[in-house]
Amino acid sequence: MNVRKMVFGISAGMLFMIGTSACLWAGEPGNLILETVDKGLVILKDESLQGEEKLEVRKQRLWEELSPIFNFEEMSKRALGRYWRERSPEEKEEFVRLFTDILKESYIGKTDSYSGETIALIKERQEDRYAKVQTKFILSGGKEASVDFRLLNNSGKWTIYDVVIEGVSLVNNYRSQFNSILLKSSYADLLEMMKEKTEKKKT
Amino acid sequence: MRKFILPVICFFVMVSVTGGPAWAEGNVLLADAEPVIIDDVQNYEEFEEENPLAIEADVVLVKDPLEAYNRVMFAFNDKFYYYFFKPVYTGYSNVIPEPARKSVNKFYTNLTMPIRFFNCLFQGKFQSAGTEMLRFSINSTLGIAGLFDPAKSRFHLDAQEEDFGQTLSKCKMGPGTYIVWPFIGPSNVRDTVGLVGDIALNPITWITYLYLNPLEGFGIRAFDTVNTGSLEAEDAYEGVTKAALDPYVALQDAYVKNRSKKINE
Repeated sequence: MNVRKMVFGISAGMLFMIGTSACLWAGEPGNLILETVDKGLVILKDESLQGEEKLEVRKQRLWEELSPIFNFEEMSKRALGRYWRERSPEEKEEFVRLFTDILKESYIGKTDSYSGETIALIKERQEDRYAKVQTKFILSGGKEASVDFRLLNNSGKWTIYDVVIEGVSLVNNYRSQFNSILLKSSYADLLEMMKEKTEKKKT
Repeated sequence: MRKFILPVICFFVMVSVTGGPAWAEGNVLLADAEPVIIDDVQNYEEFEEENPLAIEADVVLVKDPLEAYNRVMFAFNDKFYYYFFKPVYTGYSNVIPEPARKSVNKFYTNLTMPIRFFNCLFQGKFQSAGTEMLRFSINSTLGIAGLFDPAKSRFHLDAQEEDFGQTLSKCKMGPGTYIVWPFIGPSNVRDTVGLVGDIALNPITWITYLYLNPLEGFGIRAFDTVNTGSLEAEDAYEGVTKAALDPYVALQDAYVKNRSKKINE
């Protein structure tokens, strides 16, 4: 009786684990990445969302699925670097909003319909509140691109604060740009440039 | 507890199967072998203390005394890309189907094997050199003169992306000044010398020198450039510059970081 219960318990537990994890050995951050990419791919593969005229709907759906696991405030903070501390809370809020818009329009807007991309988990490393998940995107042409995700654990919830594609960190790339701009012009000018960028993308 | 042990065991099995000391590699990634100038005016200690994984998040100032010239050249290359190069390869893509373009790309990759082979040797990467030799043998025969890549698809042998710029870096040569060349794009002193080295190692150069007139040699290279461009230029170039507020800086940063990654591998 007890033995049977135990066996049932073990197998149920194992089934549960197999069911919940896309990759058996992946930890929580790794799973989050794989699951989110899967969700994104489901939308891209969706027959009813194909074609040029469905672009806006597709972008919206993708945004709804993908944006919750990105930590835009952390990205903004890191991209702005030392200039972040000089900003008032309202200014910070405005900056996060503008930066989020730029990222949304630039990267979600780029996604075309699905053409056979897959993702493979290479390894993940976790240090305290921080995690690094290394993956490989296998593109339709058989080309591979290494994509690393950096995650931060905020009171139990893992969020992405940087994406590193082929060694190029998204946040650091923007930080170089912000630095270069702010060395020559004022913060107000930078905001103006960011607004212009988002306006231009929308039209 | 039970739920915890199984993934741990599976993980170690995976690690031992893949054979890599996974953690050791992870540490290498954090170390930047490139001689870099860290701007000490900008103090990011706050972030570093918080995050041991963010060590490489330092702002690296690229040596760019030629910025004024470089920006002009960047603007020129950008125009050239959109008004000449892109229309050419888009037209080419419309005529030649993708599988054919991929095969052409594989053919060129196979032909330029000596660049990768010798640079592996120069860097003392004998196993990688062996891989390149093996890939060349397989792809030149089973892959029908390199038009296909069975070495990768059947034998899982990846091309070893080593070039002369990376070899020079292994010989402790620093990157030097950042330069934007017309048509070629971002480079630096080291990679420019590297480019010359790679041209010398490229069989197309020898073939041109021995059997062809310069125009035919140029044609071969132009065809390769357009073909490769049709497969990847859009993602690489536009991916970096379109999302940028300052495309010049964005491309410079992407170039420097990507080179740095390749050198560390």
